[in-house]
Parts: sequence; C-alpha cells; structure tokens
Amino acid sequence: MITLELEKCSGCSRCEVHCSFFHSGKIGRSGARIKVVKIEDLGIDYPVVCQHCQERYCTKCPENAIEVGHLGQIIVSPTLCTACGTCEIMCPVGAIQLFEDVAYVCDLCGGDPRCVHACTMDAIHFEPQVTEAVSLTEFKKGSRRLNPEEKRLRYAMACSQVLREQWISERSG
Amino acid sequence: MLHAYGGHILRLDLTSGQSRRVKTDPHFMLNVIGGRGLNSTRMHQELKRDIDPLSPENILLIGVGPLTGTLLSTSAYMTISGKSPLTGILGDSAAGGFLGPELKQAGYDQIVMTGRSDQPVYLLIADDHIELRDAGHLWGKDIWQTTAAIRKELNDNAVQVAAIGPAGENLVKYATVACNNSRMCGRTGMGCIFGSKHLKAVAVRGTGRLSIADPPGFLKLCQELDDRIITHPEYDKRKAMGSTLLMKALNGIGILPTNHFQEGLCEYVDNVSGERLAAKYKVKNKACFNCNLHCSRYYVTKEVEAEGPEYETLCSYTSRIGIDDLEFALKINHFLNRMGMDSLSSGETIGWAMECVQRGLLNRDDFDGLDFTWGNRETVEKLLQMIVRREGLGDAFAEGTLSLARRFGKGTEEYALQVKGLDIICGDPRGIKAFGLTYAIASRGGDHLRAEPFFELTERYDEAERRWGIREIADRLADKGKAVLVEHTERQALLTDCLTMCKNIGLSMDILDFEFASRLLIAGTGLNFTPEKVEAALKGVIERDRLMNIDFGIDASMDTLPKRFTHEPLRKGASKGQVVPIDRMVKEYYEVKGWDKNGVPRG
Repeated sequence: MITLELEKCSGCSRCEVHCSFFHSGKIGRSGARIKVVKIEDLGIDYPVVCQHCQERYCTKCPENAIEVGHLGQIIVSPTLCTACGTCEIMCPVGAIQLFEDVAYVCDLCGGDPRCVHACTMDAIHFEPQVTEAVSLTEFKKGSRRLNPEEKRLRYAMACSQVLREQWISERSG
Repeated sequence: MLHAYGGHILRLDLTSGQSRRVKTDPHFMLNVIGGRGLNSTRMHQELKRDIDPLSPENILLIGVGPLTGTLLSTSAYMTISGKSPLTGILGDSAAGGFLGPELKQAGYDQIVMTGRSDQPVYLLIADDHIELRDAGHLWGKDIWQTTAAIRKELNDNAVQVAAIGPAGENLVKYATVACNNSRMCGRTGMGCIFGSKHLKAVAVRGTGRLSIADPPGFLKLCQELDDRIITHPEYDKRKAMGSTLLMKALNGIGILPTNHFQEGLCEYVDNVSGERLAAKYKVKNKACFNCNLHCSRYYVTKEVEAEGPEYETLCSYTSRIGIDDLEFALKINHFLNRMGMDSLSSGETIGWAMECVQRGLLNRDDFDGLDFTWGNRETVEKLLQMIVRREGLGDAFAEGTLSLARRFGKGTEEYALQVKGLDIICGDPRGIKAFGLTYAIASRGGDHLRAEPFFELTERYDEAERRWGIREIADRLADKGKAVLVEHTERQALLTDCLTMCKNIGLSMDILDFEFASRLLIAGTGLNFTPEKVEAALKGVIERDRLMNIDFGIDASMDTLPKRFTHEPLRKGASKGQVVPIDRMVKEYYEVKGWDKNGVPRG
C-alpha cells in the first residue's frame, strides 16, 4: 500500500498531477486517484489514497466490477462498471470516486506508483508487503451522508490530530 | 485543438452581473503568451487611460499562464492586473498557490471584470457555471474567515478562493488579494480594486483536465526542468528557508535595509534571520501547486500560526524599521495576511515616519501622539490596526508613502523611498546596481521583480563574458553593462510572468531560458511558439506597457531613484562608499532598448 509521513507533506500535489497524467495523459484533480486535502487554517496537507483496508468496503460491488489485485490494490473493470456509485458510498474515506462514468481508485500503477516518484518531500512510500493493515471501521459510521470530498476532509482532520498536538507542544511551550 | 490552455476567456460585468465565455484565440495568444502579457495587452486594448482606478470603469483582470496547472513545476501562479489605485499607472501582482491551476481546470485563461456591484458579492466559477453570490455576510471578515466561510457554504473544501480582507474593503491603497490564505498578490493595490468593485472574493472549482499537445515530449522537458531545480547548488538552502535566506545573505554584502536604509548592516541580524526562523518556529515545508522546491514554511509561535513569511515581509518588520524581535514579525505577518495588506508598502510608511521623527522633521504631535521611535512595536501594532480601518491617522497612511509625505510636506518627501509611487523593496540598490536600474525603470514602479537581475550577484565572470561580452556584469558594484543585463532579464522576467511561473526558478536560480521555454510551449500547447515568436511577443508587451504608462502620465524624469541611493554613500559593510549613478544607467538603458532620450519607444 501507499503509506504517508504526514509531517513531511508540503501539500504541493505533485502526487495528484503525476497520477492523473500517468493514467490519462491529462492533468486535473478529477483524474487523480490520490487527492491532497488541504486544511489551511491548521497547516495540514493530507494526501488521501486507498488504504487497502481490512474491510474492503468497496468490493461490495453489485456488478462485480471490483476485484483485489495481487498487490492488494483495487482493480475496477471499466466494462463491468455501470457507475452506480455503490463503491463511492461504501468507502468511508473518499478514496474511490466516480469520474466520467467509471470509478477511480488507486491501482498502484501496476506496482510502480508514480506518486511516490513524484514526491520530492519523500512523504509518500510504497510498501508492497503491507496490505489490509488498516481498519477503517471508526470512519464508517456517519460516512454515508457525506460526499467523497467531505469524507476525505473528515479523515484528514482525524489523522492529523497527533501531529498538530506535537507542533503546539514543541513550538509554543 | 488548443492544448494546455484553459480554452476560454470569461468576461463579467459586475454592474449588471452579466457574463459570457469567449473561446481563447490561439493567434492572439501567440502574441501575448498568457499571464501578465495577456493581462497588460488586454489593458492596453480596452482600458480608458484617464479613469479613476477606483471607478467602475477600471478593469480587473486575472490571467493565468498556458502551462499552469500542467506537469510544469513551479508554474502555479496567476496575475491580477488593473490600473493601480496606489500609483495610477499599470498595476499588477502575481501569487502562487492553487487558484491559477484551478482556473485552468475550470476552463479559463483569463477573467476580465469591469463595472461595480451595488452590493458586496463574490464570484463563483464552477466549470461553466458562473454566479455572483451575495457576500453581505462576508463583508468585514478577514481573509482566513472568508475562505473558510465560502468553502463551508459551498460544502467543498477543494474550492480555491482569492479573497480580500478588511483592508481591501476599506480601500487601503495597497490592499492585497490572497489565495490559499497566505499566497499574496501583494503589490500595487489589487485588493483595493476588488474592494472598490464590492467584490469580496473569487471562488473557483474546476473539474476538467488539461490536455498536452505532445505528452511524452512535454513530460521529458518537465523532468529536465525538475532535474535542473533539484541539482541546483542552492536547492537545499532554498528548500529550508525560502526567500528568508536573504536576511543574512544581504547583510553579508552590506545591503540589508536597516533603519529605513540609513545602514546596510544590521547588528542583530542573527536574531531575525531565516536560519533562526527555520530552527525555532518552522514546523514543516509548504508549497504551491506542483512545485518541487517547497520553499514556503508553516510556523507556530506562542501567539500565532501561519504560512510564511517571505523575506520582504520579514525585513520590512524587523531591520527596516529597527525591530529586533522575530516573534513580533511573525505576528505581524499573520495579521497582514488576515487583513489583506501589503507588508512592503505598509512597512515603508512606518519607516518613513520613524526617519522623519529621528530627523526632527515631524514629531509626536504630528502623529496624534504616536511615538515613532525606531523599533516601537506598540506603535506599529496600533498604527496597522488604524490603517486597516482607515481610522484617524490611519486614513492618511492608507494612501501610501508618497501621498503621505506630500501631505505632511516639510521636506519629508525626500524620505519617501518610492519610485512612481510604489515603495521600494528590501534590497539597498547601492550595493546591487542592476537592481537599482530595475527599480528606476520597472513598469509598475519601485520593484525588483520586473527584471530581478540576480546574475550580478553571482560573480560568474566567464559566463558574463560568454553571454554578453561584458565581464563586469557579474560584479554587483559595477554599473558597466548593467543596462544590457537588465534589458535581458526584463524579458526573462516577463517570460516567467507570462508562463505564470515562479521568479525563484526563472531568475534567481537562472533556470528558465528562452530556448527552453519555446520548447516547453510548443510541446505543451501545440502552437508554433518558436524562439523568435516568443521574443517578439515579449518585446511587444514591454513596449506596449511603456506606451500605456506614458499615457498614464509617466515620463523620463520619473525613471530615477530616491536621492538617498544616488547621493548618500553607504557608510559601513561590504558595499561601503557606494551610490547608484542612476542617470547614466537609465540613459544607457534607453539606448539598449532603442528608445529615444525621453524614454519613448520609437515604434
């Protein structure tokens, strides 16, 4: 899976740019499967990407268009996908989202994730041996009524608490 | 098909609320490229010259570069332009962040606004949906609050917002526009134009993707640029400190403005340096869209937290006005960012007042009892609050230093350190002669970014010989050849601004050259941007800007520097004894340009 060293992320979004370009030859946040959440008032930048969660919420696809690959990555079949939106609703953290009638989610670029190369802050890493290490049950509750952007924001907020506390205690003590 | 460009120009009349999308014309873009070139050409074509900058007739432009929002690192900027309320001439200011790329993804290369709304509004651009929304509830809010409130009401944290604060609403002549809370269009009062049009903010959401004419070729060029940046000898230092590294660097060569440029050496520089900021208050790097330098910083102190500051703000609120207190400067940076006010111009009004008091030209009574002793922090804080609200004395200070000095008279005009009404930046030109020339001739007034002739600081004598046949160009204290350098880097700076790229990369690190830019433009847009075409476009823009400024009322007598820099030698440090022979340099500059002795292009 893709792992993050939050304290290093500058929020530049190079991961997004290179993700979108690799997958489509075009550049735009909509085309990226990793999306940086910026919480500007708090100085937090958080790239949200598929966590290969233990629960595999998105695989409850009514069209059987979603399977798990050998690296633990999510693979969406564009021919089977009917853009019904079940996966988008199921994912608690907004890591899978419909765009142009198909579900977009990190596929690890087939084993050589471009976002990792693009990051010049050394904030994101590819750890192929780590998969289904994260449980997202705590984010599942209340996630149904949120859109993917809101889910990502909620997730980033929760995951950056520790770093925020560290900053405050170190710098203003 | 037009690649890389957003593809549309948005025209909006704020009076009637009517808008229309016009397709971007490729032939026109070949002559102006984008960004600042696109904006100033639009002004040249459409703005009546004699209008009041605060009237509905003034134009307000937001221009983005052709490669912004693509793979090209450090091209995250956008430029806001209009007739400057501060100077009355060409005004514009660029900022990075994320708004420029978002505008491109929404499908736009430029927003052209005229008129004035009756009520406070903000402009929402969501792809092809254009809406003027009520901003009555946002009026009075600071920039951070405004950005957060807009994101909340649109229920979308990914909306990019350019907003003004109370300073812009109250028509402070040097009010700023901020993107992402901290990326400031700081100079020439673009926030004041927003305020005059009752435009609180521009909010943008783009869900489109930008196409590239030659994706593999463009990727290769962008990787080459990335490599040039990462292997640059200054990369680590710039990444750690950003522009704040200049505090110690400029002090080292004796040109760090201290007590309003009376000295170029600051004895307490270590207390207020970029090094100390990084060690004590920085918690992480921040970056603009798709940048690999990440030169901005997030800091936390006991009282405040924010992004920045950049060098100009840090120096303006430390050595330039005699303040030996880094935490104070960080607090002021936070305040100015929230209120939306330029640190350079506000700082210069304070420096001017402090020097006038030191010299006995003015005293406490002239300033309603405020004590303008060097470094008086209470006065600074109190005055800034008053300027933002235009309360009492703040009303006069909100007009800018030149106007302020004219109002007080008594010989204080000599100490208003400005050119054409724009307060000069924090670099003493006596020890950097090409910068001195740049301040004198810059088309928006006393500013370095119009040419940023950083080359003169590099001591690359052989390279100077190779490029221009004049070795002295690499010697910061020499004036010989500097007209040639400035003519060259003025085009390079404009190129950077047309691509809405970062000046750190384009000029300070000397990474972007004309030939490389031509290849990038061709691979990105598919238009025939040959080096000749690019050069012709740049020369055309510079000439039109000059002609427009002449229409606005400038003449050759204004292409000069304040007397301090031409007649008072620096007394200490590595630039001791230096002044700028500005008349000779400007004359040479006109000759290099092929302009007549009055500084008029021959056409």
